[in-house]
Amino acid sequence: MTDTTDIEAKQDIVEIAVERYKQGRLTRRGFVAALGALGVLPMLGNKAMAQPKEIIVVNWGGQAKDVLQEVLCDTYTELTGIPVIVDGSGPSAGKIRAMVESGAVVWDLCDSGAGSAIILEQQGITQPINYDIVDRSKVLEGTAYNNGVGNYVYSYVLATNPTMLGGNVPTTWEDVWNVKDFPGMRTFRKSVRGMLESATMAQGVPLAEVYDALGTEDGIKSAIDKFRQIRENIIVWGSGSESQNLFLQEEVAIGNIWSTRAHLLKDQMPEGSFQVSFNGGVIAPGIWVVPKENPAGADEVMKFIAHGQKPELQVKWLEMIGSGPINPEAADMVPPELAPFNPSSPENLATQILYNDEWYAKNQTSAEELYVNALIN
Amino acid sequence: MPQITDSFRYWMLIVPALAIMIIFYIFPVLGIWQISVTEPEAGFGNYVRMVESSAVRTSFLITFRVAAITTVGCLILGYIVAYTISNYASRLTPLMLALVLLPFWVSVLIRSFSWIVLLGRSGLVNDTLRDAGIIDTPIRLMHNELGVLIAMIHVMLPFAILPMLANLRGISGSYVQAARGLGASEWTAFWHVYFPQTLPGVMSAALLVFVLSLGFFITPALLGGGRVLMISEYITYQIQEFLAWGLGSALSVALLIATALVLLIAARFVNLRSVLLDRK
Repeated sequence: MTDTTDIEAKQDIVEIAVERYKQGRLTRRGFVAALGALGVLPMLGNKAMAQPKEIIVVNWGGQAKDVLQEVLCDTYTELTGIPVIVDGSGPSAGKIRAMVESGAVVWDLCDSGAGSAIILEQQGITQPINYDIVDRSKVLEGTAYNNGVGNYVYSYVLATNPTMLGGNVPTTWEDVWNVKDFPGMRTFRKSVRGMLESATMAQGVPLAEVYDALGTEDGIKSAIDKFRQIRENIIVWGSGSESQNLFLQEEVAIGNIWSTRAHLLKDQMPEGSFQVSFNGGVIAPGIWVVPKENPAGADEVMKFIAHGQKPELQVKWLEMIGSGPINPEAADMVPPELAPFNPSSPENLATQILYNDEWYAKNQTSAEELYVNALIN
Repeated sequence: MPQITDSFRYWMLIVPALAIMIIFYIFPVLGIWQISVTEPEAGFGNYVRMVESSAVRTSFLITFRVAAITTVGCLILGYIVAYTISNYASRLTPLMLALVLLPFWVSVLIRSFSWIVLLGRSGLVNDTLRDAGIIDTPIRLMHNELGVLIAMIHVMLPFAILPMLANLRGISGSYVQAARGLGASEWTAFWHVYFPQTLPGVMSAALLVFVLSLGFFITPALLGGGRVLMISEYITYQIQEFLAWGLGSALSVALLIATALVLLIAARFVNLRSVLLDRK
């Protein structure tokens, strides 16, 4: 179990520093000093020491760092003799950009998101994926971009505690909003990300039309309004660990949380007191991006990405930390007891939609304001 | 050797403190004021947005309400503690003082988390009440304003007790004895003779707690369940989530002005100089 809050705060500060630097509000020297103060610079400075034939993979730290090291990196080293090291310091788009722009690239491969991958490509920060080496057919449809390719998936799912609900468990988002038949506290994310979709489905909008409905101002307003209706029954979560704690301490009986946290919870909660439904879930893929002029060279990294596409490795990844395989072939190899918790099993894929980054790029800021207002006002 | 005048000596002592204030406080604050009218574009757009946003209005309302209730709670509880410590001197006094000071030195974060353990659905309080057969279903003690207030009063209590204690300890017991000797009842002696003398202490405690509560952040964020959004959390939200430095700065300017207004209004009713500066 890891608390990601501090890391997130740090990332945000770095991003702000980058933003300030770009606006010319921070001198180059001030910028480097700021990164140094945040403990980011030592990593930038490692370049001189890095061996030429070594791959540095960066993810968001915590348990995922150890699992990534064990499942993908060490197996690659066994096969090729090339050392692969995981750095868990969190490759936010801002940090990647700062690194490439300062010309001190030490990262070879970064675990990013679809939105960031698109922005970084537009800004010319990342390299194209070589689809001669990386197999396009081994990722879920819609997760292969020019400069980024899917590496795992997680989703926003409906988690419930049947014991607290007396066995009467909501199975759809409509049920979640029905506080009469399903009393008790619910938890939703502090941000609109992944939440407005559920509120839209709760109004009876079919899966495929959710983002169309949210495409209009009325659609957003009515989704926000849904949260206003059940405000008294909402506790919000800020970080993934917070959502996990809310279930562990039985503060909530129903919640919209990340499937990766649900995966941890199913082992921590007493038998029969935790359930997950992927019905109406929102799938978000993790996306590999390769910074420009990475020290290990593009080809080497592409081979590593291709290595990570092996279904048996992805299944192991699911077993250990709950990230769903991005390779559709892997679904058959998932042990039956884990299949219900696999966000990318064919059954679960059929009932979910893919997170729409373009919608968020356009609407998130204004929607957040409305969301906060609905929760407190 | 040139004569060192009194006024030179005076300024020698003042200047270092003044310089530190200007460099590390006044200057950055002015920087914040500047950001609030220059980002994302020059003008008062941020302030317009702020005034138009009902979320901001509510957040200010919550902030002042929570701060006011916290202050009242701290004053009542703190007065009792301060009165007991200063008027019933005994072997227990050092222990009582330690019990006030120890939590004061423990991090706010830890104290807030402790309240989560106590107030949760399956927390100590609810479990005890349920085992005692007083309740069937857990009471909602946190993730609402009640939880925030309980924890905030606890966190702020030393800030109320310490100034009042300093004041109360300076009050001579002979006035009350004289009043009693002249035939006043115990209550009259307290209310008309003792209590007025403690007012400066009460006022400085009130101001200290209120102003500190206005900028509070951790406790409401942890115990409020997302619906007790104080303005300082709102500022963090704007700056960290959305990189909206302009709006964030505008909000902090507004908070600063609001705090200054509180002090100004307080100054109309009490003599701030005697409350904050003079000690008996």
